[in-house]
Amino acid sequence: MEDRSNLIDESAYHMHMALSQMSQEFYYTERCLQCGICTEVCPFTRLNTIDKFSPREFIQRLRLGLLDLSGEDLWYCTNCGSCEMVCPFEIPFVKVMSSLRNLVVKQGAGYLPATLKNSISSLSTYNNPWMEDPDRRSDWMRGIDIPAHKKNSPRKILLFIGCFPSYDVDGKRIARSAVRLLNRVNINFETLGNKEVCCGDSSFRSGDSDGFEKLKNINTSNFAEKGIRYIYTLSPHCFDVMSKWYFKDNEYHVKPFILLIHELISSNILKLKKPINKRIAFHDPCFLCKHNKIIDEPREILKSISGAEFVEMEHCGAKSMCCGGGGGGVFLDRKKGERLSEIRLDEAVRSGADILVTACPLCLSMLGDSAKSDDRYSDIRIMDICELVLEAV
Amino acid sequence: MSHKRVVIVGGGVTGLRSAIALDDFGIESTIIEKKSEVGGRVVGYSKIFPDFRDGRKIVDDLAGAVSSSSRIGIIKETTIDHVQKKDVNYTITLSNGSVIVADAVVLTCGFETFDATRQGEYGYGVYPNIITSVELEDFLNPHGSTKGKLLRPFDGNPAKRIAIIFCVGSRNKRIGNPYCSRICCSYSTKQAIEIKELDEESSVTCFYMDIRTYGRGFEEMYQYAQDIGVKYIRGRVSECSTLLNGDIQVRAENTLLGRPVQGIFDLVSLSVGMMPCADAGKMSELFGIRRGSDGFFIAEDEDFNPHSTDTQGVFIAGSVTGLKPIRDCLLDGASVAGKVASYLKKLDNK
Repeated sequence: MEDRSNLIDESAYHMHMALSQMSQEFYYTERCLQCGICTEVCPFTRLNTIDKFSPREFIQRLRLGLLDLSGEDLWYCTNCGSCEMVCPFEIPFVKVMSSLRNLVVKQGAGYLPATLKNSISSLSTYNNPWMEDPDRRSDWMRGIDIPAHKKNSPRKILLFIGCFPSYDVDGKRIARSAVRLLNRVNINFETLGNKEVCCGDSSFRSGDSDGFEKLKNINTSNFAEKGIRYIYTLSPHCFDVMSKWYFKDNEYHVKPFILLIHELISSNILKLKKPINKRIAFHDPCFLCKHNKIIDEPREILKSISGAEFVEMEHCGAKSMCCGGGGGGVFLDRKKGERLSEIRLDEAVRSGADILVTACPLCLSMLGDSAKSDDRYSDIRIMDICELVLEAV
Repeated sequence: MSHKRVVIVGGGVTGLRSAIALDDFGIESTIIEKKSEVGGRVVGYSKIFPDFRDGRKIVDDLAGAVSSSSRIGIIKETTIDHVQKKDVNYTITLSNGSVIVADAVVLTCGFETFDATRQGEYGYGVYPNIITSVELEDFLNPHGSTKGKLLRPFDGNPAKRIAIIFCVGSRNKRIGNPYCSRICCSYSTKQAIEIKELDEESSVTCFYMDIRTYGRGFEEMYQYAQDIGVKYIRGRVSECSTLLNGDIQVRAENTLLGRPVQGIFDLVSLSVGMMPCADAGKMSELFGIRRGSDGFFIAEDEDFNPHSTDTQGVFIAGSVTGLKPIRDCLLDGASVAGKVASYLKKLDNK
């Protein structure tokens, strides 16, 4: 009879050594009580699919050296952070995922989905995930003028566009709306133009920390050259990696663009004169509401639009249901009927909203794509908050 | 100003038991109790694990022994305002204005339960059908506010489907209580049994992380609970939400099956953990004794001198030193007397 029991000590030791070289976070997993609260809140477990993903089981296997990185499940995690928010022992599971993905990407210790392999290598060569021409990065600006220096303006900001608003067909709407909004106020702003490269979030989340470092260095030296200390990003993902991983001191102030809109509206610099007589729901991007606790500002913006009726979806604020785009999810193709974005759109439909607004180019892409592919969602318009605010000024 | 040998702070079962034990040594004591009645929490428990003895009766027996002794005095509805140490004596000023000089002080102030509103995701204080184990205890008490009937607070209808959530406010570093409260698994199992024995048709589901029914007779009680049909699901509940009719929906991962699970219940009881007594900070300051990182008092030596503190003449017993079942509190009450007695003897021989 074949003995199929696992050899506990040996494999655990090797896994332990490999992981402790990768990251400190591994040590935190020793505190796991296996209570399962992480798995319950994980949005993936709400999908109607035979694919399985259990953060709790991941940690159990990790600690016993039984982790099998040859499966697809390592890539199901969208890095939304819902697990981290509820874990009684504050285990940074998203960082654990990151460390494991690094093992796969750098040491070939497991399976890497082909689409991510392509995006990682494209980021390395073209500084964006789609092998797009870097010299066409600011093509989205065609037809929009960025006016020369505004006189008497007390402020100068750097607008960091990001890969999606630069190249993605839906994302470009965000970039164009943002610039049009800024043109209406007395703030000097610049972009990095074609010198801008990916913030590195896509590399970081997919386990290519070396690729991330490379992109970070390019961006930080460009920032230094520009010398503008206030940076606003159109994507919460860019904001997250930059504010947490780029700068060691407080020399640069990085914020998501939505906070600038909020500031301009609350101080009455940007006046919303046109009514929008629609029911509006807000999809909180995970990298605003969960990772950075930005929850009230988007709502305050929407509530200041006259004629608009604001409705909340079932999962709102910090409990927002992930669209599925983070953590590399935007590059993976999930089957129709097995997408987190569909669960979210169903909630939007149930809330009676005419417009579903978000504040993240990845969310816009994920929700927009799923909405287009199904008649169920044909009555809902998916918009970015910049577009909506532009319609209201 | 009166001179007393021993002042006992707290008239719960530990305080009462220590007064009786001191009385056995011929030592007089005065119990200071902040409420209008002695008996602390135990007086409200109609059944105590593992033998399902009546808490009211235990308190009555203790109170009876106390009142029949001329050496034990009780001052009710009073707290301590000020303490001054003079040589080996303690000058204690009470809130009623009177002053007592004591040779020894025994702190038996008990504990607090975790405030379940601090875990907002469970909806306590928001959804009426979500209660704490403390309230469940009252509902199950034939002398309690519902006369022993299990009813849904939302509409007063009978509660047939009950969920008990373990580890609320314990084993949770995030909210500041990483420790295990030790008795919740046991009292929750006891409550589950009570519910089933009250109504055979009821369904009771316990959502647990581990079952720590560790004491003598506790494991057997857990076995009995399962025999009579109490369901145990291993998974920490992430949230409770309400339906329009007041029903509560509970979600967790069934970690033993590796699948998410949800259930609809009439009543959800949060088994709250123990926390240091509300006066712990004040007592610690007044008497100069240390508290652990969990907030409970620290003894001079946990193994050899568990009743003594860093302050000579100040002793601790019962739940103030940590979480323990009532049986252990009574044991503490009995054993601290020996320590106090030998201390007083040394004082007298000086």
